[in-house]
Amino acid sequence: MAGRTLKFLAADTVSLMQVRYRRGPRGLMPHLARNLQQRIEEMEYKDPRLHYKVNIGFAVPKQINADIRKNLTKQMKVRRQDAEFEKKSARNELVIDLDEAKQDWTKTNGPQYLQKIGTHYGVFEHLFGDAYFYPVVPLNIDYDFGHKNLLARVHNGNLITPQEATDVPSVSYEAEPDTLWTLLLTTPDGNFSNPQSEYCHWFVGNIPGNDISKGEQLVNYMRPIAPKGIGYCRYIFVLYKQDKKIDFSEYKKDDPCINLVERNWNTYNFMKKYQDEITPAGLAFFQSVYDSSLKDFYHHTLGMEEPTFEYSFPEPYLNKQEWFPIRKPFNTYMDKYRDEKQIAKEFLLKRLKNEHPFKFPEPPLKYPNAHPFKGYLPSWYKTEVRKERLMMGRINEYVEGGYAKNIGGLVPREYPVWHKSHKKKSLLE
Amino acid sequence: MMMNGLRLTATGSSIAAKSLHGNVVVVASRQVRSNAAVLERCTEIRNRNPRNLELMTIARKPKGYHLDKKGHEFWNKLFVRVSARHFEAEIVHYKHGPTITVSTRDWALKKQLYKTNDISAYSNVGRMLAQKCLEAGITSVYCDIDENSSQKFAAFIDEMKKGGIALEEPPQYTHAYPWDAKRMVKPWTLEN
Repeated sequence: MAGRTLKFLAADTVSLMQVRYRRGPRGLMPHLARNLQQRIEEMEYKDPRLHYKVNIGFAVPKQINADIRKNLTKQMKVRRQDAEFEKKSARNELVIDLDEAKQDWTKTNGPQYLQKIGTHYGVFEHLFGDAYFYPVVPLNIDYDFGHKNLLARVHNGNLITPQEATDVPSVSYEAEPDTLWTLLLTTPDGNFSNPQSEYCHWFVGNIPGNDISKGEQLVNYMRPIAPKGIGYCRYIFVLYKQDKKIDFSEYKKDDPCINLVERNWNTYNFMKKYQDEITPAGLAFFQSVYDSSLKDFYHHTLGMEEPTFEYSFPEPYLNKQEWFPIRKPFNTYMDKYRDEKQIAKEFLLKRLKNEHPFKFPEPPLKYPNAHPFKGYLPSWYKTEVRKERLMMGRINEYVEGGYAKNIGGLVPREYPVWHKSHKKKSLLE
Repeated sequence: MMMNGLRLTATGSSIAAKSLHGNVVVVASRQVRSNAAVLERCTEIRNRNPRNLELMTIARKPKGYHLDKKGHEFWNKLFVRVSARHFEAEIVHYKHGPTITVSTRDWALKKQLYKTNDISAYSNVGRMLAQKCLEAGITSVYCDIDENSSQKFAAFIDEMKKGGIALEEPPQYTHAYPWDAKRMVKPWTLEN
């Protein structure tokens, strides 16, 4: 039993349906069984001889040495003499400067923290395979989305909508003017043609110093295109330091490049090819989810339909159908084994029966189950009707956002807009 | 151009390979298809973002056994650690352990504080942690800290809330079977 449960837990995605074959307690006795933490550790265990990671980046410079530490301590001691400061602190009125704190913190723990969060988001795994790096060069990337005094800044996994990221962002970092850099924006999520491939959203090579505009633009900037229904995609900026000028002409694409297949990208192969000349040095990434502004972009710029996806949940597990299902309600039991399309068709026909192309639909009943049934009806049928009136059970699969009508409990999917005025009229009457 | 029974026709920058016999299209490695054609072929798409299912509330929350100590059912949980001199708060992921840590031991914070364990220290740790959470894409965390237990905790929790962090995680979405009575609302289909 334990084996099956383990497999079930190991799946990150919900791909299996758990089935119980017998009643009663499962697994070992509590004093013998491993607890959840132990089980997760066991599942996550990887042999360090096989699954080790390689650092391909720069060494992290030590920012705080003994001298700086001494200096900081001295400053703190002086500040502690201030009585006003003490009072403020005791009254919970001391508000620190968060920007300054962030700057200090970026200098001291920044690379390690970014590496940790990057690993948490699977950035290194999906871009570089078994390699990682410490982002020693802090990247400041801002999207100007037309707000008076707000910019959307790319941090490490924050949420930015496609509408905010429409235009080319401003990128800045500290660099010597005689150095060369490469900037890449890619996404490993939601590739239409190859799930293992990325999309290159922006590629600028041979950037002298930190002036992006003077760099060689190989692939022009394209806004995030997270399709509807697939959720949050990562958009990852990686800054590479070049040892020398590199001829990137093989990656050169038309400007603007609107063909998505042309934008297919593999960072691993790119890194493998140029590992002697480039070193990853900076990292920033954000997450983006579909918004309505993308419809226009898909239709007019990319020249394609707006793609919509639905998360595929596991199919329900069903036992083999019995010839004589004893003590099972015949209608609901048989429905489980029927063709879903046939059931949908029956619901549709039922709905169309009560519909009139030129008449207003009847307003809903306030107390749907207070209406008595006329004549004799078998009890199972009455239960079905009651369920439909209350929008319980299968009816939810075929009618969305509707409410129960008097009999049948079915309403059109899209309720006419003009219904409101009709309602008012009937109330006045 | 003839090549082993294949005719290569150059269309713009792309090369399409077509079989001479029948209309079976052989996809050459350099063939470039239009976006619409790519989408037409695409029946399945994969989002490899490991945090995506948590954000969509589809991912599992570890429930543990009923005999386990409570407080395991979360994706991200807020933990605090109080020592004689310092205060530390961290966000713990159920699988990856501590992801974001803010401590008064950090120079960035210590530099601007008067004391590392007074009420101001607590509230400033709260402010900094809330900011870091938003920067890392975490907007809601599970929290079982009793804020009535002390003024300091109340100040810390208050700053977290002010910083825009919901101290309650949304419930896990469970997909209903066709015969189930009720269905959960799919949070990702709701428009803001």
